[in-house]
Amino acid sequence: MYSETSSVKPLIYIMLLNLVGAALISIHYGGVNLEAIILTGAICLVSIISYAVVSLAELGDAYIYLIISVLGSVGGIMQTRIKPEYGIRQLKWFLVGTLCYFAAMLLYRLLNKWLHKLVPLYFGISVALFVATQLFGKTSHGSLNWIVIGSLSFQPSELIRIFFVLSLAAVFTAPVPDKYKDRLRLKPQHIRLLVASFITLVNVGFLILQREWGITLLFFAAYFFFLYVYGASRYYLLLNCFAAVGVGLFGAMRVSHIKVRIDTWLHPFADASAKGYQITQSLFAIGEGGMAGRGIGEGSVYFIPEVHSDFIFSAICEEMGVVGGLAILMLYFVLVYRGFKIALACTNAYNKAVAFGLSFILGLQTFIIIGGVTKMIPLTGITLPFVSYGGSSMLTTFAACGILQAISGNKEEITDEIQ
Amino acid sequence: MKYNKKIISVLVVMCLLFLSIFVYLTYFSLFKADTIKNSNYNRRLWEREASVLRGTIYDRGGTALAESELDDEGNQTRVYPYGSLYSHVIGYNARSYGKTNLELAYNDYLLRTESLAEIIQYGKDISKMSRGCDLVTTLDHGLTEVAKEQMRGRRGAVVALDPKTGEVLCLFSNPSFDPNEDELSENWADLALDESSPFLPRATMGLYAPGSTFKIAVAAEALENGLGDYSVYDEGTVRIDGRDFSNSGKKAYGNIDLKNGFKFSSNVMFAQLGRELGAEKLKEAAHRFMVTEKIPFDIDTSSVSWNYGSMGETDLASVGIGQGRLMTTPLNMALVAASIANGGIMMKPRLVRSAVSSNGVTVYQTEPEALTAAVPSDTAAEISDYMQACVESGTGVNARIRGVEVCGKTGTAQNEQAGMDHAWFVGFAPKDDPQIAVAVIQEYSGASGGSACAPVARAVMEAWIK
Repeated sequence: MYSETSSVKPLIYIMLLNLVGAALISIHYGGVNLEAIILTGAICLVSIISYAVVSLAELGDAYIYLIISVLGSVGGIMQTRIKPEYGIRQLKWFLVGTLCYFAAMLLYRLLNKWLHKLVPLYFGISVALFVATQLFGKTSHGSLNWIVIGSLSFQPSELIRIFFVLSLAAVFTAPVPDKYKDRLRLKPQHIRLLVASFITLVNVGFLILQREWGITLLFFAAYFFFLYVYGASRYYLLLNCFAAVGVGLFGAMRVSHIKVRIDTWLHPFADASAKGYQITQSLFAIGEGGMAGRGIGEGSVYFIPEVHSDFIFSAICEEMGVVGGLAILMLYFVLVYRGFKIALACTNAYNKAVAFGLSFILGLQTFIIIGGVTKMIPLTGITLPFVSYGGSSMLTTFAACGILQAISGNKEEITDEIQ
Repeated sequence: MKYNKKIISVLVVMCLLFLSIFVYLTYFSLFKADTIKNSNYNRRLWEREASVLRGTIYDRGGTALAESELDDEGNQTRVYPYGSLYSHVIGYNARSYGKTNLELAYNDYLLRTESLAEIIQYGKDISKMSRGCDLVTTLDHGLTEVAKEQMRGRRGAVVALDPKTGEVLCLFSNPSFDPNEDELSENWADLALDESSPFLPRATMGLYAPGSTFKIAVAAEALENGLGDYSVYDEGTVRIDGRDFSNSGKKAYGNIDLKNGFKFSSNVMFAQLGRELGAEKLKEAAHRFMVTEKIPFDIDTSSVSWNYGSMGETDLASVGIGQGRLMTTPLNMALVAASIANGGIMMKPRLVRSAVSSNGVTVYQTEPEALTAAVPSDTAAEISDYMQACVESGTGVNARIRGVEVCGKTGTAQNEQAGMDHAWFVGFAPKDDPQIAVAVIQEYSGASGGSACAPVARAVMEAWIK
């Protein structure tokens, strides 16, 4: 079913994109950065090899990696334009990420039969990472979300996302062992809801402690839609809704951190020089870019705070225009859509749930950050996958997509849910 | 598969989320961005200003009316060499007070550089400052000086334009203020409180009853409605619905036709003509000459409007002589004269001829453009005859120029201050080949339009024609 993808055209476009980007950046800095050229060449080469491997070895959906490499190229171009060192590091992360991608794909294929039995392991690692963050973590912009080891910093919640999806997928699709059924005297479905809710509660609890509002929302939404797809009753869904709204309202009224976010969302210009600074600067950038953009290197993206990470999309809009921004948005959409398609086509219940969860998280994360920097919804700091600067986001999203790749190429047909 | 239906529902939710960003961002960019990016907090505005040497604004003959000077540290100062003379046309560009008039309307051109060419030439070297486009206006500096001299400091306005092209030659308002930033910051508080309203651009935004100059429109409406033979017996005063309408000095003209009634500015005739035409036709008279319409222009104009719902007989009579609740601006009235001069076609007024980039390329150019067809050419010719008679041997004799056929109409508009009427004159010359149309107003002058304003108009027209 994926055999229609053996054209070389997309590769030519990717190379063209990188070439144009490199040329514009050379004009911008008035010189040629050899390292950047080599890395750009490397990305093109890696894209070609990866594409060839995926399509020739029939590893499944050949579009996933293609889309990622376009996004990664745009990210590389923007990072280099913002600060050449960032760009170079970003390109290196991209290459390492590609390794993660194929490693995750291979591991997932190899371990496929055991993955749904490892929920306690996922949970244990997640809790361990959360506790480590709590103890040794570094606070950045009000959120406690970094672990720094030597010169490397790492955002554990990025990795926990994947374990979270793997756990929920297992909880909802794997058979419930008889011993629990007997001991708890409950229907399997109820046991599943309880376990899923417990796992989510622990994860979300840690995230709230660490003031990661964006990721909290992401986890909760994933949990909620898992409940929806895997047949929780209407009452249980409503109960979760009320709980979420209650917690949300409490936060909006009593937690100053959230209050400020909502205030600056509603009235960004009321305090444009301080609290509203980030969002107003982002809006100026998007506004100045207009439809067509000011041109790569021609914008004033250095006025945008956190431009290389959370606000990279504003910089893209300023320099490539809203049209460019929407094109990027469409790329994410196509990626998410392919993910859902993989979930729909998948015949293995566990893999289907994993593909669904990972695609959902990828899509919602994109929505939360783009909606946030454009002031459509309140701003919560979260990275834009593959484009924002940062290793842990890049590597873990690559791994997540590697898993999608593995599922799309899985020809083994394990039967439907074993009840 | 068992769960596919629900997964598809979630996919639909995802589609809606992405679609909402798509719609929102497009909406934002098209409708919200312009307002937002003009916020004072947008540092790009200042950055752009600082990196480009703002273009010069010239009059039609190449006289610089506004230019930017660079000091040794690369800081710019906007200099207006003629001080207050153009404050209501060119406006000011000051960091603390923002921008107005042409400085605002053509800001993008004044800051626009031939970007790509200059980047290739200079790279990002800021010391080589790029230059914005120069703006060539339609204004004539010599003529503006004449207008200023003739007004002798009296409050009011002088508007002069080329009736065939709509090019505005002079747009003078008094009082005004010095737009240089130092002067602005020194005087701002006083200017804002000054009772003579120096911030009001009288030529384009000042609202006045047109008085008898509106008789041009009423007479044209009468001609258009087959009332060319209209005549009255003028005893100096006529009582309409219990109210007296009198000629200036209650002078009685006896049996007069439309042309003589116009020439002597008979209120007795036009009050009755107003009643004869009725509300609809009077409204049409104002409408065809855009007397009560907002004029599309390079700088802001007043949103004048027809202030009547239903009209009683005294309302009809009042509007017939340009009084009552009829309000308009000097620019509107100059266009009335200009449309008669141009065979009934009103040209769109223009203040800017072109914008020229620093390397001499014309990046923007305006062309003559008709605004509306006010009246057919035969009606315009007939009104021209009336207006010529008015200057030749009527109320406007002070506008006569030796050897030139001048057309005009005086006006004396009553206002809220009794005995302190606004004086008006509108006209054009020469009759056969009109080159200039003018409107002059002196507010609260207490004198008649013929004695106060006709000489000003004459001097301006003469200076232009000769």
